[in-house]
Amino acid sequence: MYYFDLAVTGISFGCMYAMMSVGLTLVYGLLRILHVAHAAVFALGAYVTVLVANATGSIALGFLAAVIVTPLFGMAIYRLLYEPLLKYRPDVPMIASVGLLVLMQDAFRIVFGEQGITFQRNAFAFKTFNFAGVTVSALQIAMVVTALVVFTGLHLFTTRTRIGIGWRATVSKPQIAASFGIDPIKVRYLNFAVGSVLAAIAGGLVAEMNNLVDPGIGFVVSYKALAIIVLGGLGSVRGTLIASLVLGLVEAYGTIFIGSWLDRDAIAFLALIVLLMIRPQGFTGARAA
Amino acid sequence: MLKLENLNCGYGSVEAVHDVSFEVPAASVFALLGPNGAGKTSTIMAIMGHVDIHGGRIVIEGEDITRRRAIDRVGLGISLVPEGRQLFSDLTVDENLTAGGYARPISRDATKRDRVFGLFPRLYERRSQMAASLSGGEQQMLAIGRALMAEPRLLLVDELSLGLMPKMVDLCLDALLKLKREGMTIVLVEQNTARALDVADQVCVLSSGVQVYRGTAAEAKAAGSMFATFLGIDAAV
Ligand SMILES: Nc1ncnc2c1ncn2[C@@H]1O[C@H](COP(=O)(O)OP(=O)(O)O)[C@@H](O)[C@H]1O
Ligand SMILES: [Mg+2]
Repeated sequence: MYYFDLAVTGISFGCMYAMMSVGLTLVYGLLRILHVAHAAVFALGAYVTVLVANATGSIALGFLAAVIVTPLFGMAIYRLLYEPLLKYRPDVPMIASVGLLVLMQDAFRIVFGEQGITFQRNAFAFKTFNFAGVTVSALQIAMVVTALVVFTGLHLFTTRTRIGIGWRATVSKPQIAASFGIDPIKVRYLNFAVGSVLAAIAGGLVAEMNNLVDPGIGFVVSYKALAIIVLGGLGSVRGTLIASLVLGLVEAYGTIFIGSWLDRDAIAFLALIVLLMIRPQGFTGARAA
Repeated sequence: MLKLENLNCGYGSVEAVHDVSFEVPAASVFALLGPNGAGKTSTIMAIMGHVDIHGGRIVIEGEDITRRRAIDRVGLGISLVPEGRQLFSDLTVDENLTAGGYARPISRDATKRDRVFGLFPRLYERRSQMAASLSGGEQQMLAIGRALMAEPRLLLVDELSLGLMPKMVDLCLDALLKLKREGMTIVLVEQNTARALDVADQVCVLSSGVQVYRGTAAEAKAAGSMFATFLGIDAAV
């Protein structure tokens, strides 16, 4: 049953990776910017979740607050950091983005302390269930269910609503979409808001999993999510989802085969190097940069 | 219906169109001809709001729209069939039409969609296919259909026949003539001069961003080879 346990771990991690990475893919797809500061958005989501959960005694309220506050932060990053820099080469906004991430990490350290914050009550997350010998934790179920709900919702929104279709039209041909009255600036805000909400949810879930939010929480995300979106073929949401699940599973099984001599987090990059050697365009090859 | 007054426009400090003036009466087809790089697309895109205006005015039904934002112009009844189709290629036929009607009330969407499918039954068969998977002719039909979803009174059509089989050109031109009979004003940019003169009421020829000929289609046809020299191409008129 050990192998099934690993599958559960891999899939739940994959779902979490997907939620943290899709925001990056969305920004890259629309603006061709590597939105490195997305990791700070993720970290903010984690902080808001734990702070509000501890203040109110309700983890649900913590998530709700994170989902409200974080998109505002994401949209502010677009407005204040990227919009003034869009006229320069794409590496200029990217470097600004790295700067913001470093700044935010230090800000979290100064405001909330080096040692981080733990949940006062987080019993639910570690409750485990046994399905025919396979152990599953409540948190793992929450990760998978949340990802299913979120991505189904995103799919329906972008294929069944006019705003969602207009969003995709703008990603495809911004100037032509504008000719039909689709405001490209509003689409950018929507894009940042949606990506940030997903990151906030992922941040809250990782916070629960670690039972700790410290200033470094965004760090692993920042490089792993970058690896994922490259694996997925930059700009492709479907590719990002596939790459996330594959990485989750490879990491889970990888830890038993090569975990003794290679750090778990290094596996993402081993996979990245191997894949780029075989398929430089990523899994889907859609819109490879 | 549409009036350009001494229009100068271009890209940054580069000027592509110099001092062009013309007037297009309502419910007529106005052909904009000229060799490659003459400034036809720039003129069309200036009317759509995507080119920097350096001087002159663009007037629609008496209203000066020169400084209007691009995204607001569709609301004034202007719609575009851009050069090279420029479909939303990873959206389906249906979704392209939805995007075309973005600026208009969703309650009218279904009626307009039926009209487009009535005009181009081929699109109906392909409605859930990706735009990228359509043939060239079908893509042009979709580009026209998408533009019609915006409920235009002025339709700007750039390079209708480019890369299309003659049968498809006929089909698309017939559709434009039908729209004209229903009251649509159309500006048509064409490389195929003969076909353009067949459907146009009036003609304007641009060359290097300057207007070199203005007249009715009948006059242009009568001028024959002299007209062709204005075009600067081996046009069989
Ligand atoms: N996006 C652009 N940026 C700079 N110059 C352009 C751009 N598009 C067109 N031009 C220039 O403007 C002139 C007119 O081009 P265009 O309007 O496309 O001509 P046409 O449609 O008649 O072939 C050309 O000299 C072309 O090089
Ligand atoms: Mg052109």
